[in-house]
Amino acid sequence: MPISVRNVIMNLDALDIKAFTTNAVHEVFKTMLSMEVVPAGDGSPDGFDGTRVVGSVSFAGKVLGNISIHMNEAFARVMTAVMLGMEEEEVQGEEDVNDVIGEMSNMIGGNLKSRLCDAGLRCDLSIPNITCGTSFHIECRNWARHERLDFHYGPHAVAVEVCIKEA
Amino acid sequence: MSLKVLTVDDSKTIRMIVRKAFTPFDCELFEAENGVEGLATAAREKPDLIVLDITMPVMNGAEMLEKLRKEESLKKIPVIMLTAESGKENVMRIIKMGVQDYMVKPFKGEQLIERAIKFVKLTPKADTEASGEAGKRYFTLDGDVYRLALPATINRITSGEVENALKTKTQELSNGGKSKLVLDLSNIGGTSVPLIRLLVTIFQHCQAAGVAVRLMGSATLGNELKEFKETSALSIATTFEEAKAAF
Repeated sequence: MPISVRNVIMNLDALDIKAFTTNAVHEVFKTMLSMEVVPAGDGSPDGFDGTRVVGSVSFAGKVLGNISIHMNEAFARVMTAVMLGMEEEEVQGEEDVNDVIGEMSNMIGGNLKSRLCDAGLRCDLSIPNITCGTSFHIECRNWARHERLDFHYGPHAVAVEVCIKEA
Repeated sequence: MSLKVLTVDDSKTIRMIVRKAFTPFDCELFEAENGVEGLATAAREKPDLIVLDITMPVMNGAEMLEKLRKEESLKKIPVIMLTAESGKENVMRIIKMGVQDYMVKPFKGEQLIERAIKFVKLTPKADTEASGEAGKRYFTLDGDVYRLALPATINRITSGEVENALKTKTQELSNGGKSKLVLDLSNIGGTSVPLIRLLVTIFQHCQAAGVAVRLMGSATLGNELKEFKETSALSIATTFEEAKAAF
């Protein structure tokens, strides 16, 4: 039987971006890291101790936007060690951490992008970007939708921000 | 002769996951970071299976596949495509490319192996005596209850030893009509991600084998375990006798 795609374009406001993102985060953490992240209360975007690592990917097409995943460096190293099957002490430099956090961003962003495309909001995904630092602030301005979702895994915090608007 | 598997992906993380997935099997792994390198490696090694990412710099997976299919000596090599996008249009595009199968990221190594065995015969590497030695080190039998004492340090090596020994032991438990295991965490000072992962693996494995598990350790550790969703519902006994009585 031939496969067909229904080209129904949905309004951005009608999409449950929060649910899409939450599902994507749960699935990626559980599948790739065997970690069950739990939703946490709203926190401050700058509430990460020490160096913060942010992985982000952007969308461009019928919608514009980006999704970024924030965590502190200590948890980024834990994630890297788990993903690469090594001890934390074996994680060398930034390259491994950047690759893992970039791939996590790509998977979470790819999942959200797929839901947008299924809703008729076709868009392309950029390659992941990594930002690291101890004192910076990311501000989301002039977006139709801005969602921030906080999670924790044991004592470790993860925040995901989605900014999106129709092109 | 070992099977040859080629992974073409710009992400070291994904290449590592693929490598780990195939490690238990008798096969030789080759890696490339983009389509150009992938084609060159495929031409040189003539792999039995290619695991190919779509989005890559220099030459993407779709272009590499197209060129592969035009080469007489390479066109019959089965290809499993990897993609981060599960949208309907993307899936249709992949199917039209003529790949044997595709996987949407995130994926587990076991899922990749399930797909791979549809196209190639994977033979497990010969078992070593290591799991038997580890079994003696970590397991003791007390009446009809096995005791698995985890070491103070949980890392990749000790986790692997415990997991391998557990596979053998649960088989012995089932064959011997025993179905009770006390997991002794007295040596463990505090929680860590490797510990949580190992506990999840142990519980999953024992559940599948029909073995009941009770925990034993300090009350402090019991409280710390409640911070992780995976272990939040577990109760911990402070002595072996108390743990046995909980069955």
